[in-house]
Amino acid sequence: MLSKTDKNATLFIVVALGLFFIGGLLTTVLPPLLDKSWSKPFENNDPSKGPTGKLVQYTPLQQKGYEIYIREGCKYCHTQQTRTLLSDVTSKGAGSGWKGVDAPVSTPDEFVYDYRQTFGTKRTGPDLSRVGGKYNRQWHKAHFNNPRDLVPGSIMPPFPWIANNPDELDALVAYLQTRGRAKNWRPDNDYEQ
Amino acid sequence: MSAMEKSGTAVQPQEFHQDIAAKWFLMSSVSYFAIVAIIALIIAAKFVWPEFLGSIQYFTYGRMRPLHVNGMLFGWLLAADIGLSFYFIPRLCGVKLWSEKLGVATAILWNIIILGAVFALPAGYQKGLEYADLPTPLAVLVVIAWLMYGFNIFATIYSRKYEQMYVSTWYLMATILWTAFVYLTGNFATLFTTGVNQANLNWMYTHNAVGLIFTPAGLAVAYYFIPRTSNTPLFSHKLSMVGFWSLAFVYVWTGAHHMLHGPITQWLQTISIVFSIMLLIPVWAVVYNFIASMKGQWHQLGENVSLKFLMSGTIFYLLTCFQGPMHSLRSVNAIVSKTDWIPGHAHMAVMGAFSFFAMAGVYHVVPRIFGTKLHSETLANWSFWLFLIGGLGMFTSLWLGGFWQGWQWSTGNIKFIDTVIALKPVWVVRLLSGVLIATGIYTFMFNIWSTALGTKLPQGESAAV
Repeated sequence: MLSKTDKNATLFIVVALGLFFIGGLLTTVLPPLLDKSWSKPFENNDPSKGPTGKLVQYTPLQQKGYEIYIREGCKYCHTQQTRTLLSDVTSKGAGSGWKGVDAPVSTPDEFVYDYRQTFGTKRTGPDLSRVGGKYNRQWHKAHFNNPRDLVPGSIMPPFPWIANNPDELDALVAYLQTRGRAKNWRPDNDYEQ
Repeated sequence: MSAMEKSGTAVQPQEFHQDIAAKWFLMSSVSYFAIVAIIALIIAAKFVWPEFLGSIQYFTYGRMRPLHVNGMLFGWLLAADIGLSFYFIPRLCGVKLWSEKLGVATAILWNIIILGAVFALPAGYQKGLEYADLPTPLAVLVVIAWLMYGFNIFATIYSRKYEQMYVSTWYLMATILWTAFVYLTGNFATLFTTGVNQANLNWMYTHNAVGLIFTPAGLAVAYYFIPRTSNTPLFSHKLSMVGFWSLAFVYVWTGAHHMLHGPITQWLQTISIVFSIMLLIPVWAVVYNFIASMKGQWHQLGENVSLKFLMSGTIFYLLTCFQGPMHSLRSVNAIVSKTDWIPGHAHMAVMGAFSFFAMAGVYHVVPRIFGTKLHSETLANWSFWLFLIGGLGMFTSLWLGGFWQGWQWSTGNIKFIDTVIALKPVWVVRLLSGVLIATGIYTFMFNIWSTALGTKLPQGESAAV
């Protein structure tokens, strides 16, 4: 049949689209039907099953910060996924762990309310999937104003138009503090505000 | 004898074709190539001097990067491929383009879209989906432009004089069909989903933007211009069918390999890996066909700039499509994913392979459609070497840097900021390579515009095609 497709344009169209739809539908429509963790928000009350906690909807302030995160293209340098790799979970090296506690691995049910996926493809700056609660507002303000004041050697751009705008700064910090907090992963609850 | 020899041999003189739509698309694509090169240099410079243009929000990295990506992909490369297809499809079909007017209208709409993006993206109006960054109103215009373009091409193909369709014609038809659905998925279906579901659709789009838009469009160009510029028949029609239909089946399954080790269903990751490895089949079929066509003809590369671009593009295509399947292996992915290796890989695909094919086509076509002579062979050679050396400098520095960074991360005891500081020399090399590439782009643009504006050759003296 395929040998006739170089003479019959209509047959060509049917076969080319048919093959495309087989793979296309099986890899995009089928998975969310089979794997409910894609749509069911994270909730766990049983410490024996890993970190406890519950994923909740964004507040209007957090949502505003989320939109700033998208507007500034933050995801082009920061991933938001703690992968199943030592490099990602560790608290001693370049991972998302913090102060002696390794970060729990990211799962699909932690991202159910994300109107724009922020997993990212490039980690020019550190991963932010567990950044919530690591730094307080004051730290973020100084850091957005000039990242090199706090992290010598950083190549992050300065964001004075956010640092000097209290509304935007509050919103963005509120959003950042949600990252990774659905899972209550710090045993001492030592989260910054 | 290849189908092209049977069907596409010069039976009409150049004057038979008007090529107005081709002129519009080619000349604007070449201009956007040069404009977006500035954006590329700005973002490369920001890695070396993070304060550079840093306090002006419109020039911040996170807004410049989508402009760079979309400007190069849609302003330059896709527009150039469209322009070239307006040239070779009528010739392969033995008829005039169905409507030059519709083609010109498509080009004007395309320019409106790109200019819209130039203002919208720096202003922060990005949709927030990689490769689908254009705000929704502009994305709707892209769909309209694509329907206009597709209608024009299919109407030309349905009125063709030769029954058998050459391989470039299938690749281009497939580009038009697949792009329609790939683009709708990435730009619109994503808006109705959240989280991992959205990411899965986003990667289906991003990956197939390269695999089912730029790959088939680029291969259509290469399949036409390799035999045409070297005056040599294609090695095997049958092999080209093997390459095409295996690509058609295999490519669309691989999107989830962008999330390996990440928060996405394990079996979906495994499927994407299996199909990524299978990609070696279409790639090696195509590359073997190109290389075998050159048997006994390699000496032509010395004097033929288009052929230089085409054959180096073929080698880059082979390399980038060997890297791709290898990256999808979990063990390799654990090191290279999310590092600078990945932009090195991506630039080899889109610049090294597909832009090289498109530039070869532009160098061949522009003198013919304007009825002039190429302004300067010397400058054309310079542009090739600037691209090749700059490109290799950029690819290799990013691979080495990325690999190094990946190893540092996986030690589990080096702080993140130290892995950033370690890469600073790499980013200097990348910027210098970028300067070479940009010089190549300006040489190319100057040469092409000078050719277009040059003195017309007397009728009949222009090369018959």
